[in-house]
Order: sequence, then C-alpha cells, then structure tokens
Amino acid sequence: MVAFILRRLTGLMFVLLAVSVIVFVLMNVVPGGPFSLGERGYSPDALANLERKYGLDRPLTERYFNFLTSAVQLDFGFSFAVAGNPPVTDVIRQTWPVTLHVGIYTIAVSFSLGLVLGIVAAYRLNSWVDNAVTFTATLGIAVPNFIIATFLLFLVGFQNGWGEPNKWIIGPLWEGGPALLSWDYFLPVITYALAPMALVARYTRASVADALNADYVRTAQAKGLPARIIMFRHVLPNAMIPMITILLPLIPNLLTGSLFIEVVYGIPGLGKFFVTSIFNRDYPMIMGLVLLIAFFWGLTYLITDILYTVIDPRVRVFDNQGAKA
Amino acid sequence: MYRKLSVLLMALSTVLMLSMASLSAVAAQDNADIYGRALPEDAAPYDQQIWTQLCDSTRTETSLMSAVTVYQRICGDTHMFDKFGDSLVDLDENLNLIPGAAESWEASEDGLSWTFNLRPGQVWSDGTPLTANDYVATYRYMVDPDHAYDFVWMWQGTIEGWSEAVAGEITPEEIGMEAVDDLTLVVRTNGARPYLPGTLYFWPPLQAAALEAMGPDYILDPATSVSSGPFILTEFEAGSRVILEANPTYNGYRQPYLRELRGIYGDQLNGSFLAFQNGDVDRVNYVHISPSDFEVIASDPVLSENYLPNFGDFRTDYLFFDTFTAPFNDVRVRQAFAKALDRASIVENVVGSQFGIPAYSFLAPGFPASDVDGSLADIQGFDCPAAQALLADAGYPNGEGFPAQELKLRGESEARANWFIASAASISDCLNVEITVNNMEFSAFMEGLLARPTTVQFGAVSYGMDYLDPSNMLGVWVSTGRHSWLNPEFDALVDRANTLVGDPAERLALYEQAESILVSDVGGVFLLHRIQGDLFQPYIAGDCLRPDNQGVSALHWGNDWCWGSFYITSDVANFETYRSR
Amino acid sequence: MSQHTSAKAAPIATLRAAKVERRSGTLQAIRRFRRNKLAMAGFVFLMLLGLVALLADILAPYSYSRAFLTLRANLLPFVNPDHILGLDGSSRDYLSRLIFGARTSLQVGLTVPIISFLIGVPLGAVSGYVGGRVDFVIQRIVEVATAIPPLLFALFLLSVLGTGVNNVIIVLSVTSWIESTRLTRAQVLSLKERESVTSARALGAGHGRIILHHILPGALSPLMVLFSFSVPLAIFSEAGLSFLGIGITEPTPSWGKMLGSGIGTSIRVYYHIALFPTLLVALTMLAFSFVGDGLQEALDPTRSRTTGKT
Repeated sequence: MVAFILRRLTGLMFVLLAVSVIVFVLMNVVPGGPFSLGERGYSPDALANLERKYGLDRPLTERYFNFLTSAVQLDFGFSFAVAGNPPVTDVIRQTWPVTLHVGIYTIAVSFSLGLVLGIVAAYRLNSWVDNAVTFTATLGIAVPNFIIATFLLFLVGFQNGWGEPNKWIIGPLWEGGPALLSWDYFLPVITYALAPMALVARYTRASVADALNADYVRTAQAKGLPARIIMFRHVLPNAMIPMITILLPLIPNLLTGSLFIEVVYGIPGLGKFFVTSIFNRDYPMIMGLVLLIAFFWGLTYLITDILYTVIDPRVRVFDNQGAKA
Repeated sequence: MYRKLSVLLMALSTVLMLSMASLSAVAAQDNADIYGRALPEDAAPYDQQIWTQLCDSTRTETSLMSAVTVYQRICGDTHMFDKFGDSLVDLDENLNLIPGAAESWEASEDGLSWTFNLRPGQVWSDGTPLTANDYVATYRYMVDPDHAYDFVWMWQGTIEGWSEAVAGEITPEEIGMEAVDDLTLVVRTNGARPYLPGTLYFWPPLQAAALEAMGPDYILDPATSVSSGPFILTEFEAGSRVILEANPTYNGYRQPYLRELRGIYGDQLNGSFLAFQNGDVDRVNYVHISPSDFEVIASDPVLSENYLPNFGDFRTDYLFFDTFTAPFNDVRVRQAFAKALDRASIVENVVGSQFGIPAYSFLAPGFPASDVDGSLADIQGFDCPAAQALLADAGYPNGEGFPAQELKLRGESEARANWFIASAASISDCLNVEITVNNMEFSAFMEGLLARPTTVQFGAVSYGMDYLDPSNMLGVWVSTGRHSWLNPEFDALVDRANTLVGDPAERLALYEQAESILVSDVGGVFLLHRIQGDLFQPYIAGDCLRPDNQGVSALHWGNDWCWGSFYITSDVANFETYRSR
Repeated sequence: MSQHTSAKAAPIATLRAAKVERRSGTLQAIRRFRRNKLAMAGFVFLMLLGLVALLADILAPYSYSRAFLTLRANLLPFVNPDHILGLDGSSRDYLSRLIFGARTSLQVGLTVPIISFLIGVPLGAVSGYVGGRVDFVIQRIVEVATAIPPLLFALFLLSVLGTGVNNVIIVLSVTSWIESTRLTRAQVLSLKERESVTSARALGAGHGRIILHHILPGALSPLMVLFSFSVPLAIFSEAGLSFLGIGITEPTPSWGKMLGSGIGTSIRVYYHIALFPTLLVALTMLAFSFVGDGLQEALDPTRSRTTGKT
C-alpha cells in the first residue's frame, strides 16, 4: 500500500506537469490578453510596451520554463488583476480561509441532509417520500442559483439586513469562534448547498436501493437481523462505492468556492478567482489556481481509490499487474 | 408589504420631524466638518456623512488614480478614484472649463504652447507643497514605456514628443512639458491644439517624491498614501473594501462635507439596486439598473423623483462594418442596412424612450458640432422600401444571395444586447437577410475589431467622449481610428479642424461637414444617443445637483467639484439604512 | 490472480434458465414499466416534448427571430392574447421561443450526455476491468482532464471551431466524460470481484461478454442517476457558453439562454423570463429521473419487492 501511494504521488507529479503545460499553452492561445484593449486600441509602440510590461514579448517556451522554475519553489508570480499586484500565493492565503468556512458548512449541510434523504427514499422506494426526495433533488439542480439567491436576498436580506455586502465578517478559524456562527453564512450556505445536496440524495438513493436488493442483504433480512445492523453492516458499505466516486470529488470543488456565491453575497473569498482569473487573463493566477485544484483533485482520487479497498476488501487497485485472462 | 409599512412610517416620521424641527435646528449649529465649516442646515450629523457605493468584485483593478490606469481603476463607475488630488482643470455643469488646481491658463500667441498657473498654497497631506513638478512627474510617468499606460493614446500626436517617448525614441523627460517654477507648468504641442486644456481634465497628480521612491502603488497602502485632494486613503483591502476619509490638509476648491467615502464589493451589475433598496449604497449608475428594476423605480414616486437622468458622456450606440471587404464595401449595402433599421420603434419599445433618443448621426444633440437642425436625419432615416431598393441595386434583390451575417457585440449586458438583437431583427425583417447576433467576450471583441485586417465584419459598439471636443468623438472614425472605414475627405476635414486656431465657428463647421460624410458614406449605422442617469438616495443633497443651462438637474459627466458639495441630509433618519442599524 | 475467487461456481442450469427468462422478460419489463404511473408520466412528457421540438415550425405561432417592435419588450404573460406568454427583452414572442428552444435544448441536453457516456463508459470499463498499468494511465489522463478549467478549454475550442449548436455539443461532450469514466470504473472494480462475475469467468466467458452481461447491468443505477443530472447540466452549460459569447448565437433560442437572460433583466418584475424555461428544465429533468427509476425497476423485478420492508 505504501508503494502504491508513492507510485500515485509520483504519477500526480507528472499529472501536474502535464496540466501546467496544457493550461499554459491554452491560456496563451485564446484570444484576448491581461490588459484591456480599451476603447481605442493602441499604436504598435504602445502595444509593444504593454506586452513587455506583462512579459508577453518573450517566447512561450522561455516563459514556461521561467514559470516552472519558480513554480517548483511554490512561487507562482504576481497577480496581474489584483490591486497592488500581490503574489498569487498571498492572494490564496488571504482569501481561502473564508471560502473554506463556507465550504465546510456547505459540505456538512449538503452531505448530512442528502444522505438522510437518500437513505429514507431508498427504504421507501416509490412511496410519496421517495417522490418528494426526487422532486426536491430536481429543484436543487434545475433551479438556477441566481433565482434562489435573488429570492432569498429579496425575502430575507431586504428585511433583515442579512447578506448585506459590507456586513461580512471574516472570522479567524479558531479565535473568536462565534463569528463562525454568524448569520452571514446562512444565505450563502443554503444557496450553495442545494445542488450538492440534490446530488448526494439521488446517488445515495440509487446506491442504497441497489445494495438493499443484493442477495446478502436479502439473506440477512430473511435471517431476521435488526434493520439497523443490516443497514450499517451490509447496506451502507456496499452502497458506498458509487457514492464516494461521485461525491468525494465534490469536496475539492466546495472547498474552493464558487464565483456566483461569493459575488452575490459579497464574500471576499478565493472561489471567484477560478473564473475571473480566466476572464481577466490573469496568467499567474490561472496557473497557481489550476495547480492547486489539480493537486487537490489528485489527492481526492487517491483517497477514493484507497477507500474502495477499505470498504470492499475484494477490490484491488494496488496491483501493478493487469488482469490476466 | 414591507415597503407599504415604510411609507406609513415615513409619513408618521414627517409629522414627528416637524415637531422636532426646533430641536434639530439647535443641534445643527455645532454640526461642523473637519474644516471648521458648519454643514448645511438640513445636513445629518457629521458622523453620518458617509457615502457608500457598490463595487464590482469580478473586475481587474489596479489603482485608485487615473494617471496609473483608466480601464482598471478600483471601483470604476463609482467615482471612488481620483480623490487624492485635483486635476489642473475641472468642468462645470454646462461642461465649461473651470479652474481646478490651476487658477488660470493661457495659450501662447502661436497656439503652440500652454502655460498653467497653479493656485499657491496647495499642500500634500504629508505637509510638503504641491508643485508643478508633481504634475510634470505624473505626465512623464504616464508616457513612460515601462509603465505602459493604458490611456497613452490621449496625447499621441498632440503633446510634443509624446509619441516618440512612447516609442522609446526619447526619454519621458524630453516630452514637451516642464515646470518653469513651482507654480508654473508649460505644455508644448505638435501644432496648435485649441482643445488641449480640456484633455488635461482627467488627471490629478501623483506625488513626485513618493512615485520616485515607491512606485505608483504607494497610493494603495494607507501608511504611504499621500493626498493633495479632498480625500485620503484610510483602509484598503483589494476586492473587499476601500475607505477614504476627508483629507484635513486639503485647502482646494472642493472641500468635502462628506466625512467618508466607502466602496464595498459585491454583484455590482445585478445586485446594485437590491443593495440600494436595502439602504447599503447611496447611488446607483444607470448601467447597473436592469429594465425590470426600472419598472420598480417608475412605479415608486420616491424612487422616480430621485432618478436623475443626464446626457453623461454623450454616448452613441451604433452598428459598423468592415467596409474593405464584400458585401459591405458597397455603400448601397451599407445604406440599405441603415435605412432598414427602425430606430424609433426600438428606442420606444425595447430601449425605453427615457434611456435614449433615436440617432441618425454620431454626435449627440448638445455636443459641439452636432446636427442640431436635423439636416442629417433623412440620410439614414428608416425607410424600408428604399432600403430594399438599395439592396436590390447592389445585386441582392429581396436579400437573395446575400451572405449570412454575424453581428458581433462587445460583451454587452443582457439589456443592451437586446437593443442590438432587436436591431438585427429589424434589418433582417426588412431586407430578408440572415443575421445572427454574437455577444462576444469584451477582450476578444476588441482584439478582433482592432486587428488589421479586422475580424469583425459587422459589429455593434458604443462610444462616449473623453473630452468635450469633436476631435475626440470623430477620432474613432479617422483612418488611424478603430474602424475599418476609410474616407480621405473625412480624414482631411477632421485633421484641418483639429489644429485650426482663431476661428471656432469655422472649426465646428469643418467637423459638421466631416460628420455629414460619415453619415452618408455610412461608416456606421447610428442607433441611439443614450440618456444616462443615476439613482440617488432621497437623503443625498448637494449644490452639484442644480439644473444646468438646459434645465437638467443631475450629476453631470466630469463634474469633479461635486464631491465638495454632496452631503447627507437629516432625512436619512427616516430611512432604514446601514447607518441607522 | 483470483485468490479472492469464490469456489461457489453456479450450476450451469441456473445460468441457462436466467437466459431464457431474460428474453421473455422484455415484455414483462414493459408491463412493469407501464404500471409505474410516475415513470409513465415522465415518459409521456418526454415524448410530447420531443414531438414539440420536431414540430416546432408548425406549433409555434410565430418565428423565433421576429421582433414585434411595435409592442413593449418584456411584455408580461397573459396580458396580450396574441402573445399569450408575453415577449422577451427584444420583443420576440416568448411562447414561440420556448417551443423552438425545446429543439436546441433537447438536442444539447440529450446529445451531450450520450456522447460523453459513449466516451466515458467504455473507457471506465476498460480501466476498471483490465486494471494495472492501463488503469494507471487512464486514471492519470482523467486527472489531467479534470484539472484543465472547462471554461478555458471551451474558450480555446470555440475560438478555433467557431460558434454553433454542433460545436457547442462537441465542446460540452469533451469536457464532461470524466464522471461517467470514474463511475463506471468504480463500479467495475467492485463488481468484477463479485461471485457472479468470478463464476462466469470460471465458466470461460469472454471479457466482452463478462463486461456487457455481468458488470455493466450492475453499474446501471448510478449511471442512470448521472445521466439524469447530466441533462440539465448540459442545458445550463450551453447557456453559460452563450453568455461568454462562445455558445449558440442569437436569434436561435435555447431554454438555458432564455433562463439566464433572467439574470440580466432581473426576475422581480419580468418574472416570465426566468420562470417558464426554469419550469421546463426542471420538468424535463424530473421526467428523466422518473423514467430512469422506472426503467430500473422494470428491468430488475426483484427490486420493487424491497419496497416498504424494514
């Protein structure tokens, strides 16, 4: 297993390298640049000055290797788009905590609610409860965030002042704990949690229903084992594989935030940069964030694979050998 | 429900107010600002003189001073920027130049140089005097190739040596701008430039010493930020909040009653009106109010009374072509498109007549050299049969054989995209040609527009003035401008007018001739002249909102002196806002 | 390999019986499906929707591109009988645009998940079944693909390909195969060591046969859920691309785009702009969910018997 993890981490390094090459090329070939072309455009001289300022006058390969040599020391350069041109790592360090708070709350809410709803629905297939869960899950996915947010802000924010942009309190993670329980988190978390909750509920329902249907569960039921024991010992473990496959990768997404949630609720977080850095062609920021999320995802996939074997010891992902006929 | 309640509360509180009037009159006497002036009678207490605006948390933002960047200003659209100094000149509500930091200026006899005399006694917040050298350093910084300023085109070909310095052929120190002494600034131009002072309106100075020592980012750190203007930076967190406070050492022409300017971040485009109704922000610009929000405003007497329309930067929205390639190299095709556009209906029903007037030429009414008597209106006027005839003439009877076109837009908001979608529908309805509309990403659009040869064959865009002179507006149409339309006669006329001194009437006549060529040779198909506006909280007051010579009461474009006149009235107590919570 | 292989090889007779049952099972499955009211309702809804999309030219009262410039834009529904669902922001008939929008949205909403499944399911099945180096390489490709921002990729691809429905479908498909790959692989990893599979292998069944008959059916239910989520996701992603100016250009309508324009025009007064397309997307997804659930129960009769136990 240790060898396996080492092999995977080495693999991850190559993945990061490949990702960095691909994204570096992509962001440089899409039309547009980090500076605004303004209303009138520039004379060739002025344009050359701008390109030099942003280092774009150098050949792509040279720029990539410059990037790579700093990146291995975890230095991604200076953001083009954030006032004062702070280092990308500083921006991440400053904005991530608040995004993490929102993300952790969202995971807690969406996963717990989703699991409960999904399990209840699976135990009562085709009942009104099941249909209600399907219905709720559909709304969670199919009703766009902006409608929910506008509705919530209008209904709640307008009357009580929650969600006021300037009221956002960036509480430190440990000190001043109560700030973490601020109402500020209420609307963003509700809005943010709906879609993942829907996913969790529907996948849980499908997987648990499958597991309930399996022979060993039927046997256990026939033996008259208590329902709770059957659920925890037989049903849930077997339902877990598809669930962790889809649901675990939601976590890096949720922990890195969302543009919409942060902009609408005025949260000074990291999530918006995943989109705005691309819009604003903030090249150093794009690279920093892409590598961050790639690393995060690589770890998640590794954990997922390890969990498969923990949940179901028959599953083997550690082999280096292919299946033989 | 809630709003009905608040109206009721308002009525009740007016009654209360009347009975308390005598009390508050007493209180008002010791209501003084940091300059020791008494606030106006009806002002709220000084500690409530806070003005808040919503900024866009998705934009690239790099500085609070226009001399560093124009397109990446912090809280752009909200006037949080350029408060750390006074420009040499300012504008009054009738767009006449008025003294700013310079108390007077005059041209040399040959018109080739301008002398600006600074008002003595102006100081930086660190106690050092403001000198002509600060202005010279600021302009030298703007032209510096290493700075790569995004508004550098402004004086290319105008200020002596400017273009050469941009090209790196001479150093920024060698441009035609120098401090003769601490209070005298001389600007030399390439040829006579009668409009030069107006172009100097935008740019408050950086402090030469701080710029030299720390670079332009000294502005963004409250510890190093110095100001010779009405406000000074006290708090700055990129993308989260900007707080400016009244600068106690400021002795200029716009000492503010407002104690604090705040910029908070959020969903500026879609959330501004909600934040306004929530009492979080004091002003919302029309571009951040959706058509649906406007319905709410129109149906509310208080809101509609406080929405103040104005002509803003005389912005015109128009369609344009790549006239160098088929099919738009045929002027009949362009004329057909121009005459197929039912502007009147579009403005009335899609845009809303409170937000624009149909345009048949480029320069909006009220702008110098604009078509006041309507003599150009017929050239591009809506006439579908004539349009069909023109297209048939050009070889496409009933649109047959006409290649499908894509109308490209420059990252327009949903509401504005609809103006052009309706325009495309109007043209294709009349001419039976296929037109799709592609609302492109802003930077991709501009890259395509400015490429030579251009990749935007058919597009729509808007332009508004940078200074009040036709040389600016018509400059986008000359051969070195941004469009792929070329008319040597137009170029010659504009060129001649730009440098004509001594006969202002003749100068305007030349521009008028040029514009008539632009309209009949259909460089563009003009859709509408925008009517802009701002929604203010009912408790915002100021001398600045007085009517101009056309009777328009509003925050006019370029009126920087306004920031000395705005204040919060005691009416604020009647509204539930962040101040009262 | 196969230290884990259970010695309990199923008698050949049982397998044969199962095969016979499968054939006649089709009819029974249809019968079971038809008994499921919600599934039937979903099925009928989807059929109707397909019909509407096909017959849009006949059903829609007006052309989707015609602007009624003499009428106020954003006309509310149920006010003007000529335009029963009102007008959009550039004075076009909303009902007509919803009808034509069904065409685009169903095309995108169905094709994208299908293409991405066609890429993802075989890839995931091979990865999970073969394992070892093949799995390692495929999974690293998946990791790379996950990390490339879809937005950037879409900007690039569409700047090369140009806009249009087909290109949007291509772009969305090549950015959305990852989940189906991972899900299939996970299911295969778990199922290939189950008794039924090991015994089939012991009986000498070929790999293709094992994957098709013994593994994929067991992976069906989470894949079905993924599919039902992929439909609205594709519809929304198309709208997202259109907003970047790289999607389907106006005047071609799509529900996603129409719904998204509710952001800009605000939903507070012109409620119809966001409401009708949201309803349609939600109903479509609901229909897919119910049909998916119904199909599974129909194909796997033992399943519904679990209902209500415990």
